Amino acid sequence: MQSQKSSRGIFSALLMLALGALVLAACGTPATPQVVKETVVSTVKETVVSTVKETVAVPQTVVAQQTVVVEPTAAPNPEAVIQGVEPNAEVTLWTFWLSPTFDDYIKSTIERFEQTYPGVKVKWEDHQATFQDDLKNSFAAGTAPDVINLSVGEGWVSDYASKGLLLPLDDKVPESVKDIYFPGLWNEQLVDGKNYQFPWYNFVGVELINTEIYRGKPVVDKDGNVTGYEGGAGLKIEDFPKTIDGLPALCKTIKDKTGAICDIRLTVNDLLAQMVYEGNVKILSEDGKKCTFDSPEGVAWLQMYVDMVKAGTVDKTILVSDQDRDALNLFLSGKAPFYQTGPNLIRIVRDQNPGLYGYLAVVPQPIGKSGVAGKGGMGISVKGDTKYPNAAIALAQFFTNPESMTEFSKIVPVYPSSPSAYDDPFFSAKPVAIEDSVKPAAKEYISKLADIVPTVPNKADVNQAVLDSVQEALFNNVPAQQALTAAAAKCTELINK
Amino acid sequence: MTKKLSLTPYLFLAPALTIIAVFILYPALAVFYYSFTDYNIVQAPKWVGFENYQNLVSDPIFWKALLNSFLYLIVTPILIVLSILLAIAVNRPLPGINAFRALYYVPVISGTIAVGIAWRWLFDYNGGLINGILVGVGILEQPVQWLADPALTLPIAMLLTIWIGLGYYMMVFLAGLQNISEDLYDAAAIDGCNAFQKHWYITIPGLRPQIVFIAVISSLAAIEVFNEIYILTGGLGGILNCGVTMVFYLWRQAFRLQHAGYASAIAMVLLLITLAFSIINIRLLERSGQSQ
Repeated sequence: MQSQKSSRGIFSALLMLALGALVLAACGTPATPQVVKETVVSTVKETVVSTVKETVAVPQTVVAQQTVVVEPTAAPNPEAVIQGVEPNAEVTLWTFWLSPTFDDYIKSTIERFEQTYPGVKVKWEDHQATFQDDLKNSFAAGTAPDVINLSVGEGWVSDYASKGLLLPLDDKVPESVKDIYFPGLWNEQLVDGKNYQFPWYNFVGVELINTEIYRGKPVVDKDGNVTGYEGGAGLKIEDFPKTIDGLPALCKTIKDKTGAICDIRLTVNDLLAQMVYEGNVKILSEDGKKCTFDSPEGVAWLQMYVDMVKAGTVDKTILVSDQDRDALNLFLSGKAPFYQTGPNLIRIVRDQNPGLYGYLAVVPQPIGKSGVAGKGGMGISVKGDTKYPNAAIALAQFFTNPESMTEFSKIVPVYPSSPSAYDDPFFSAKPVAIEDSVKPAAKEYISKLADIVPTVPNKADVNQAVLDSVQEALFNNVPAQQALTAAAAKCTELINK
Repeated sequence: MTKKLSLTPYLFLAPALTIIAVFILYPALAVFYYSFTDYNIVQAPKWVGFENYQNLVSDPIFWKALLNSFLYLIVTPILIVLSILLAIAVNRPLPGINAFRALYYVPVISGTIAVGIAWRWLFDYNGGLINGILVGVGILEQPVQWLADPALTLPIAMLLTIWIGLGYYMMVFLAGLQNISEDLYDAAAIDGCNAFQKHWYITIPGLRPQIVFIAVISSLAAIEVFNEIYILTGGLGGILNCGVTMVFYLWRQAFRLQHAGYASAIAMVLLLITLAFSIINIRLLERSGQSQ
């Protein structure tokens, strides 16, 4: 009897342990990553890049590693612009979602780097859906990479820099090297006035238009000539709004004529930036102590979206989705009239819905009231306590130098952050595919990208407060002014915490 | 007479205990410690005492998450009833019955994420099957944005959980059914029982161990629900936080807002709730075992 009782006790204990494991499993690193975050979205929605189509189905980090040992070269290399590189340095590079599609490019660039800076060895890893989790864990464990590919558009650089985890670059990089980059891109994501990233590749924001919905299916006569369009909204491609405030009327027309609703997404991870670019809203007072986005400009910005929700012209789940992939999927299904992205994602449309690719049109993205299209796309930063600062800086700079970036642009429609890169005949060649249609205008577009959003302390908490209030206005009939005033009060409390 | 202490059982237990200590016990203790700190994962934690727990008490989203998690427990009785009915249905020697059994099991092996994405499409405004059927047969004039309705987010997520789990639980009950002697049904028929009475007086009592077991595991799974909410709401937790559950809120605090300390406090509350459930369920399981 006693032993029965005790074995039951042991059984109970084991069962409790197993149940405890279940709880801990729930409390551990979640399955976030199960939602494939393939795209990177800038704070102004227009800079979206998908770099690896083939990895769509890969839910967890795929690590590609390579170590290449190269014999030193005798002659100085013009690409060796960083002095004092530590001999025999070994630096680790993490990229975001570039493997396996761009393995050859990354490996060849590393090989060229190691020839340029003999003796330096590079270990490369590509992290994907779990990039942010992996990086945070690596910082916590003291094993963070020396050189890190961080999104400027998503605000990752300032996030890590404000925690003291990145190396400030201004006093470590010669002026001649800084001058390689567009000034607007070098001066992005500043924290206390200091820059922490080498600007890397950028995206030209475009609208992909499903012409069957937007314009209609072409009516072809017996000679194969298009005589008109039927079944769509009957709109002209060239009439696509040039500014954000034209979207509500456009969506209403499309819904009235076709029943389709717009595939527009708020940048839910950085709503303040969206307010700045789209609504020209001043979000902080001059002294940075008070949140001021409950101004008439802020209210007007929010009211535009409230009106679209009330009119039923926008997909509400997409509007506040955390994942840009949701918006892309809707467009890929052929049910959405247009979708804002970068031309680099056109290849996904081509691969996953060739029919849609056949009736795709591309126009420039509408510009917000700030007149600035947005921030840059990707940057490369250096870990604050790297053992080999000069080697790490050299590697970050090398990947972002004109030659490396031009080679990258030739593979995928992303654009360099350096004016001189555009001297390459590739950029002046006539576009052939629709993916390249923005190439001729890319230099001018990229040159105007700028980070005009002030650094906001406790940004994630502030954004969550703003998101909660914005939802109250969008979905719970709270007046836009009231919602933003509540959010601004909370924001002021958070930034002074 | 003294018993000689043998090391053998402990040696057999050692590998498992080591793994449990490293991967369960240590993290649990670490989470307990972090729940008293301000910790953002990338910087060293700062001791804040009971501040996280005090903040929990005054956090309306936490209470909403707690309520939603308890509401989610509704799936447990529904799952039990439906899977028993399904098991009874497929426990007949009909032609092709194995194919049906396999089909009901497909959602279980498909994975929550894949099924969740499919369900998003089902309920989609633009061309979703649900809207297509309802508009097609004239029940709706216009398609509805189902997942954007705060009142429907949680019920749709529950339906998804039920749909995914049904096949697995059906298999458990099917195994239980096949252990019930046919003689009992024959005797009941002789006594004049109808079909319902047979199931009520023979099948249900016969399945009691399985019912308790499934009540344990499905209620624990329900209270820890995350994937369904994440997928169906696009990572938002539902419009106006309508679908936020405890684990989702924990995730948001830890990995979105980088408040790992606060998230740890949520985890500790969740742990206590789960432990309470486990103790109740184990007691029921033991009682069920004794009554057999």
